[in-house]
Amino acid sequence: MIEMRREVEDSRSGTETKTETKETKVETAEISIDPRTIELCVRCGTCRSVCPAFEVLGWESKNTRGRVMVAKALGEGLAPDASVLDSLNTCTTCGICAAKCPAGANPPAIVQSARMGLVSQGVMTEAQAGFRTRIAESGNTFGEGGDRLGWLSDPDREGLKESSDLVYFVGCLDSYRYPEVAKKTFDLLKRFGATLLPEEVCCGSPLIRTGSDAGKFVDRNLRQIKMIGAKTVITGCAGCYSTLKKDYPPEFEVVSVPEFLAEHLAELDLRRLDLTVTYHDPCHLGRGSGIFDPPREVIKAICRLEEMRSNRQDARCCGGGGGVRAGYPDLSLEIAKLRLQDVPAGVDAIVSCCPLCIRNLSDASSEVEVIDLVDLVERAIVPP
Amino acid sequence: MNIIEKLRDIVGERASASPAERLCYSSDASQVRGTPDCVVRPLSTAEVSSVVELAAAEGVPVTARGAGTGLAGGAVPLRGGIVLDLSGMDRIVELDLSNLAVVVEPGVVQARLNERLRPRGFFFPPDPGSAAFCTIGGLIANNGSGMRSVKYGTTRNYVLDLEVVLADGSVVRTGSRTLKAAAGYDLTRLFIGSEGTLGIITQAVLRVAPLPKARRLVIAAFDSAEEAGRTVAATFAAGIVPSACEILDRTTVAVLRRCDPTLRLPDGDVLLFEVDGSEGAAAEAAAEIAALSSTTAASVAVVAGAEEMEEIWAARRLVGAAISRLDPAKSRIYVGEDVGVPIKEIPALIREVSEISDRFGIPAMKYGHIGDGNLHVALFIDVLDDGEWARLAGAADAIHRAAIRLGGTVSSEHGIGAARSEYMNEQLGSSALSVMRAIKGALDPRGIMNPGKLGLDDGPSPGGYG
Ligand SMILES: Cc1cc2nc3c(=O)[nH]c(=O)nc-3n(C[C@H](O)[C@H](O)[C@H](O)COP(=O)(O)OP(=O)(O)OC[C@H]3O[C@@H](n4cnc5c(N)ncnc54)[C@H](O)[C@@H]3O)c2cc1C
Ligand code: SF4
Ligand code: SF4
Repeated sequence: MIEMRREVEDSRSGTETKTETKETKVETAEISIDPRTIELCVRCGTCRSVCPAFEVLGWESKNTRGRVMVAKALGEGLAPDASVLDSLNTCTTCGICAAKCPAGANPPAIVQSARMGLVSQGVMTEAQAGFRTRIAESGNTFGEGGDRLGWLSDPDREGLKESSDLVYFVGCLDSYRYPEVAKKTFDLLKRFGATLLPEEVCCGSPLIRTGSDAGKFVDRNLRQIKMIGAKTVITGCAGCYSTLKKDYPPEFEVVSVPEFLAEHLAELDLRRLDLTVTYHDPCHLGRGSGIFDPPREVIKAICRLEEMRSNRQDARCCGGGGGVRAGYPDLSLEIAKLRLQDVPAGVDAIVSCCPLCIRNLSDASSEVEVIDLVDLVERAIVPP
Repeated sequence: MNIIEKLRDIVGERASASPAERLCYSSDASQVRGTPDCVVRPLSTAEVSSVVELAAAEGVPVTARGAGTGLAGGAVPLRGGIVLDLSGMDRIVELDLSNLAVVVEPGVVQARLNERLRPRGFFFPPDPGSAAFCTIGGLIANNGSGMRSVKYGTTRNYVLDLEVVLADGSVVRTGSRTLKAAAGYDLTRLFIGSEGTLGIITQAVLRVAPLPKARRLVIAAFDSAEEAGRTVAATFAAGIVPSACEILDRTTVAVLRRCDPTLRLPDGDVLLFEVDGSEGAAAEAAAEIAALSSTTAASVAVVAGAEEMEEIWAARRLVGAAISRLDPAKSRIYVGEDVGVPIKEIPALIREVSEISDRFGIPAMKYGHIGDGNLHVALFIDVLDDGEWARLAGAADAIHRAAIRLGGTVSSEHGIGAARSEYMNEQLGSSALSVMRAIKGALDPRGIMNPGKLGLDDGPSPGGYG
């Protein structure tokens, strides 16, 4: 039995989140997940060979099959102690288990439902609670108080269009941690008429992934998207992409930056660079959304591409997702190091299309530079 | 000091008694259940030895576990105690290819070993459907095998020497690195297939084989599974030994094709014959099998492209659980899944299984290593329906008894564990079982090594279904 934080939260439709933190002891947590989704798992063990968290940690409870067993047992009265929370929360939601599962189970969805069931009863880790507090208070995952559009130049800010077909959704990471990538991306996209949400907030991905409700943030972004009249929302973050696409109402088209760039290659006027790079498929963009070719097309238009040892559908996770970077930093770093073993020798850079992947891989990489696809494109743009 | 603290003195943080770990180590891929008191993940023979010594002193059961992909509950701690998870002992210690030998720790995954051997032109032939995730220790303890055992044999044929921690914690070596040895009782083979009931395997010297230069696949479709069975018997009678000989009955073919519509498999009950060797020998053997099959088959085709062959084998390997992809309300339950009979009895077995499936109203896919008489029966049910569980148990029991009646075995490769221990007496006869019990008593007098398995000791046998 461990002490845990209990929060009381309003539902998706509610207005302000009341965060009332008090210590509580939880004996059992009833969670209800459609038993059919759980029973699909026949415990064959195929996923043992692919789960990145398991590769590092080695315990059955830290692999896919174990997490499904834990989710099932929670519904049957297993008390959610620290070992249970660690089992569920060490999943990066990378989805490679689902891609390999012969029985067609979707373990990350089960994990997410189990997290949600527990969180709705106030049972969560410090890291999960941290996301809730920070995002509720600041609208971003870092709890940053500063201007989300701080990277935007004054003339750009003044010239922002109030209505447009095209909106660039920046995301928390590029807004606050990679402002230069945000700027480069916007410089490219504004040529095509893109504007920005005046008061963008976190897309909701970290909340949803870690079992919390993100309705309020979805609503806030959605309202602005509609106000601008955007038909297409473009984003350079794999987590934002997946969330905008799957967790927002289908009222607009979502396009990833690599898709947009590949589509407009001819108009970008790129020169070739004498470089060899490799490409890391972000889980939520590649395996999760099937976007494999566009980033490769853009890279090949600029320089040589050498694939990582595991790539596309089989690409291994960077270790950053699912709340793992925040909740289990050591595990996250170890997974990133494993991913770096896939990098071919002698490449000049690792390119990716997700700031979370880039950040996690950079933290683990002492040798090769990890850059955004937009950084590569910017280097290849012939100055006017 | 309680046992978990004493275990921590030996392995540090690699011992756990947490609720999540106790839950997750309470089953393997079978329906057998048993909760351990604690789980230990040793990294060396010395650690295993100390843990077993402690268990012996305390009279606590010890159950070895590899990847927990067993289909008979072998790795499930029926009587609690300590589960020894050996999957962390996963070093390939030495490739000694001039002696056709490799030295491995028990936790090495079969496919990882073959990835290392392939560039050198060698392979470890036993190739279970679970090759990508099961361990060598589990394969040895279960005498596992796979599609190519019809030509290459089972794991038994590839173990030269074992290092084993016995029930008192002492360490023995059972064999030698030579390809032949005539030096007393064959202790190596005693431990092969012993399912963790005699000792813990901590290292193995394995024999490897050179990779064949060429392979061909003959795909023949028949109007009935019995007709396919008769063709297999005729092929063997003609002196041809394929490197794999698999049957996929028409239900299985339909499932595979619906999972992957691009898969080139004909309608009907299908035989897959693989032959290997030099280019010339493989082509010649394929032509011979094609000619022989064409007298009884509705269609015959020969595949030579490596990629297409691999696609078909990959689909075959995954077919076991694939039923849920078509109907999420149905799950494949691994019971009655591994019977084997003498090759000439295969048509009779197929007939009986169809009859049992009809009688109990439980749909069955039949597929498997027909070339060595091993038929995998995939029974599928709605797991949320208690009535279906009861009928499933009845069907599995009838299948096991049919195999024994036909002079066969309740398990060809998955092992007895707890799931099939009740049939040991019926299949082996009481005298053979008494010899096994005497061996068990000599090596493990306190009965701490994986108790409740193989029908060796009295007490609760199957952990029950569900
Ligand atoms: C989808 C699927 C397909 C399969 N296909 C095949 C197949 O084609 N052929 C086949 O033979 N099997 C097959 N199996 C069954 C299973 O994979 C094998 O029995 C395998 O050998 C078990 O290995 P494991 O590492 O998972 O062992 P576990 O299940 O962990 O253990 C199996 C037994 O070995 C004992 N054991 C494990 N390690 C040691 C050790 N170091 N020392 C002493 N005892 C030990 C355990 O106590 C237990 O009794 C399949 C299973 C699945 C889920
Ligand atoms: S691969 Fe699928 S069915 Fe097999 S253990 Fe993993 S989740 Fe379960
Ligand atoms: S989604 Fe990734 S981390 Fe989570 S269980 Fe599956 S393989 Fe493991």
